Amino acid sequence: MFICHMHWYKTGSSRGHLPWKRTLRKQRGRGKSAIFSLNASIRPHLSPPFRAERNTKRSRISARLGSDSETTSNERQLNLSVLRFTFGISGLDESYLPRWIGYGFGSLLLLNHFVGSDLANITPAQLRTEVLGLSLAAFSIILPYLGKFLPGAGPGNQVTLPEGNEQLFVMSESLSDTLKENLAWATYVLLRNTNTIAVLISIRGELCIRGYWRTPDDVSKGHVLDWFEEQIQKIGLSDLKDTLYFTQSPDFGFRELLPNGTRSLLVQPLLQVSDQEEYEMGRNEGFVVLFSSMSYAYSDKDRAWIKAVANKFTGRKGRNPPDAVEMYF
Amino acid sequence: MFLSAPTKKTFLPSMEAGIALLRDFLPSDSRRLRLRRRPSPAFPRSIRASSSPLGQYRGPQPKRDLVADWVADNDGFVRSLPIYVGGSSLLAVLFNRTVSGIAPVADASSAQSRADLLTLGLAVTNVLAGLVWLSIRPKPISVVEPLGVECRRIRSDLPESVVSELLWVWESLSTVTCCRSLAIIYDGHCIMQIGMAAKSSANDGEAEDVDANKLMQGSLYQGIINSRAQSYLANLSLYPGRSELPFLPFNTQAVILQPLGDKGVAVIGGDTIRGFTTSDQTWITYIGEKLDAALAKYVNDSSILMQERV
Repeated sequence: MFICHMHWYKTGSSRGHLPWKRTLRKQRGRGKSAIFSLNASIRPHLSPPFRAERNTKRSRISARLGSDSETTSNERQLNLSVLRFTFGISGLDESYLPRWIGYGFGSLLLLNHFVGSDLANITPAQLRTEVLGLSLAAFSIILPYLGKFLPGAGPGNQVTLPEGNEQLFVMSESLSDTLKENLAWATYVLLRNTNTIAVLISIRGELCIRGYWRTPDDVSKGHVLDWFEEQIQKIGLSDLKDTLYFTQSPDFGFRELLPNGTRSLLVQPLLQVSDQEEYEMGRNEGFVVLFSSMSYAYSDKDRAWIKAVANKFTGRKGRNPPDAVEMYF
Repeated sequence: MFLSAPTKKTFLPSMEAGIALLRDFLPSDSRRLRLRRRPSPAFPRSIRASSSPLGQYRGPQPKRDLVADWVADNDGFVRSLPIYVGGSSLLAVLFNRTVSGIAPVADASSAQSRADLLTLGLAVTNVLAGLVWLSIRPKPISVVEPLGVECRRIRSDLPESVVSELLWVWESLSTVTCCRSLAIIYDGHCIMQIGMAAKSSANDGEAEDVDANKLMQGSLYQGIINSRAQSYLANLSLYPGRSELPFLPFNTQAVILQPLGDKGVAVIGGDTIRGFTTSDQTWITYIGEKLDAALAKYVNDSSILMQERV
């Protein structure tokens, strides 16, 4: 029986400030798996003090000068002082304002055309203006969609937890203690630090699963691990060699494994660098799968960090062999 | 590295065409990788993966995201596009009015005027959106190469697990962030000093030693241990506490001091002013906690051993 003494075992994924009804699950370990009981409360005090809130405090209707280094940025590009138009209502994403204005003014234009003007004698000038106005409205509507891809775009959305999923934290019993500790830490960090709602790590066939999952109801608690293994076998994730990043929902294949409301997916295989033959044979040492409820959830920096965390489990001993390290006492 | 060579050998020629592999952040050579990380995004938003030659992976492949790639490639053009569209529509509305012989009076009396006003409103919205996009353009900041010597020192009496943990921390930091120097002080000793270090004035060509005691008596360390919070010195030249970190290269631009529990600190030096992003800071906090747990366990074990011997 593995004793959890680290705090990262106890906390569930506490992203989002939405009150969420969660059930406390207490199970006895049986067979291959041991299911840990989870603390259902949200623990805001655990977040580090400087962690920027996704919706920063805003003032009234005004253009506000402020630093915006929290948004995603490339390695050498930093977002500094930024002029932002804001209404001061928290939770309102002003980058979608052009879209709403586009819808509103476009419908007003149509209203004006059919109701407000004399349909029998519409001047060509008016028609020209209306065509121009409608095309501008269409352009405004797609503007936020384009803006999403620009680096330095608006504040990230709050991660929402979709309905229909249940919290789960399962590990194969046959893992060593240090490996269990490392896996617990890695899953905890991935859930907290990236826009992830569910994470699955597999190392040489042993599984660790954490987050919000949608397991079928007929799968009993003791056989959850078997069900996951079966799904993985079906998809053949053990033979993946390259990182896959689905920015929009993958439409087939993963369907049963996906938690409800998944919109993007990242599969990171763990590759044994030194073993050339194993690489060519097409097997990987394991993989990390992350599910998120947002589309385009993982920026380049996020993916780099996820790769770094995954490298913890590849069993590589570092770039240089130990005898090249200059030691001192 | 193994990335490109073996895959070409084992691929079917049809699959090679038009496939972009994700350039993973493999820490093969940190300097080579640093050159690859240019300001323009080098990675497509979604990656079409190559299937393994044995065809075992039966899942879906991600689709190529054309819009995202196009926007990323034409960044400057896309940012100023709404301004041009809005500005030209503004002029077009006025032109339309004058050409049709209607006086350019802004009132809502006729249907024509109403339609014009709505169109003007949309044009202004576009112009403002374009201005916002231009103002949030990230500013490129140049990298300052640290001047010093490479060093790689780890205490020799550490067990294998701790050493691999420390090396993993160094590889992650040097690959993902702008970190170029790392020093870990724990329990009164300097456990690891790795990366670029200042050249010592005493031994020629050797890296400057980390005087752990002196560091621990300094104000920087005391401040961190008291507050138990990470300290981010984004522009190191502005801080007088710079003198307490003589082992870092003198032109280190940014430093993060991460406390490891209440017994140690990790000094992380970067080569760019404000080079560590907020997400880097949170990741470093978590890594610091993990490292503290591993080192505390080691210190406990070794002290138990010492007691047993006595």
